[in-house]
Amino acid sequence: MTTPVLLAVLALVLTGPAPALLARSDWPYRVPRAAVILWQAIALAAVLAALGAGIALSYSIAGRPGEPRFDPSSVRDLVAAAILAMVALVVVRLLWAIGRVAVGTRARRKRHRDLVDVLATPDGLIPGLRVLAEETPLAYCLPALRGARVVVSVGALDRLDDSELKAVLAHEQAHLRARHDLVLEEFTALHHAFPRWVRSDVALEQARTLVELLADDDARRRNGPRPLARALVALAGAPAPEAALAAAKSATVLRVQRLAGPAANESTLSAITYAAAAALLILPTITIAAPIVKAIVDAVS
Amino acid sequence: MEQLWASPAALTVREVHEQLAGTRELAYTTVMTVLDRLAKKKLTERERDGKAWRYRAAAPREELAADLMRDALDRAGDRREALVRFVGQVSDEEAALLREALSKLDDQEQTG
Repeated sequence: MTTPVLLAVLALVLTGPAPALLARSDWPYRVPRAAVILWQAIALAAVLAALGAGIALSYSIAGRPGEPRFDPSSVRDLVAAAILAMVALVVVRLLWAIGRVAVGTRARRKRHRDLVDVLATPDGLIPGLRVLAEETPLAYCLPALRGARVVVSVGALDRLDDSELKAVLAHEQAHLRARHDLVLEEFTALHHAFPRWVRSDVALEQARTLVELLADDDARRRNGPRPLARALVALAGAPAPEAALAAAKSATVLRVQRLAGPAANESTLSAITYAAAAALLILPTITIAAPIVKAIVDAVS
Repeated sequence: MEQLWASPAALTVREVHEQLAGTRELAYTTVMTVLDRLAKKKLTERERDGKAWRYRAAAPREELAADLMRDALDRAGDRREALVRFVGQVSDEEAALLREALSKLDDQEQTG
């Protein structure tokens, strides 16, 4: 009976306190690449642990191993079967959410790209660049396997000098090259897969910030920190009709302050973070797999 | 597309081709393909007129532009993941913090 309890505790820790603690820490911002991996490991480990807890609970209720026959008159067997069915339901829900987010995102993106292609003017500065005749300062990218677009509005061009524009484009191209959108998609799917009362948007928000930092780092390596920081300030400080005010320190401030600091070389911290991510994934997997392996070994011998 | 937006009536491929021929050299089939694609993307509507299709823009340019901007600026919910924006808007306090960080960076540049 200890395995399901352990796994359930692990799942709870990984969905509640661990993300909350991690989101409040500053160190992940120093190693964004490793931090993205750690967040992914936490999410995956939480799902594995929760599913594993269900499977293990079902096993321990169903009774002694070596008696695999399902007995419909036994209450224990029925409860065990019900738990397994719930586990299956969660898996289906998760897969459904992943599929729905993937299809929905692609459809919206395609529609948006069609609009961009008829409304905006191509510019040869970088491949896929489109200039939009709008006063609102805007710069964003539309990721795709083929035919990705970087969209910049005239309002944004007016506010940027050459080096700043280059930094913005380098940032967007980094997003496109590394397919950061796929990382965000995973967390969005996970966010949608669970009912409102258990999910939180901490992981998704953190993933959003971290991929921005990754793209910033890439642009910084190419053009230095100054043009990018100035571009961020120029575009973020511009008045917008519907500026949603963030209560907390927003990612933009974090990004500019980070660019103002020295370029970090945090190989130790990043190695520790990777190790933590690996450990997180191995822990629930072994806990689930161990009894199964043992059962197989017992059966063979 | 510009030709369709400019025209009050629906145009055939031949008419669009003739209008464009003055400024650009385009093959008739190219115009046909482009119009066909636009129709598939539901950016144009078309109707049979004898043997030929007549095309018209599905919506005025301003309406599509408004659509696009709404999509691009939307910060809520599902749509956010479709586009990855360079940077969002910030509050006044944050703008002050930003300028402070930037001037720190400028100082470094001068001293370093």
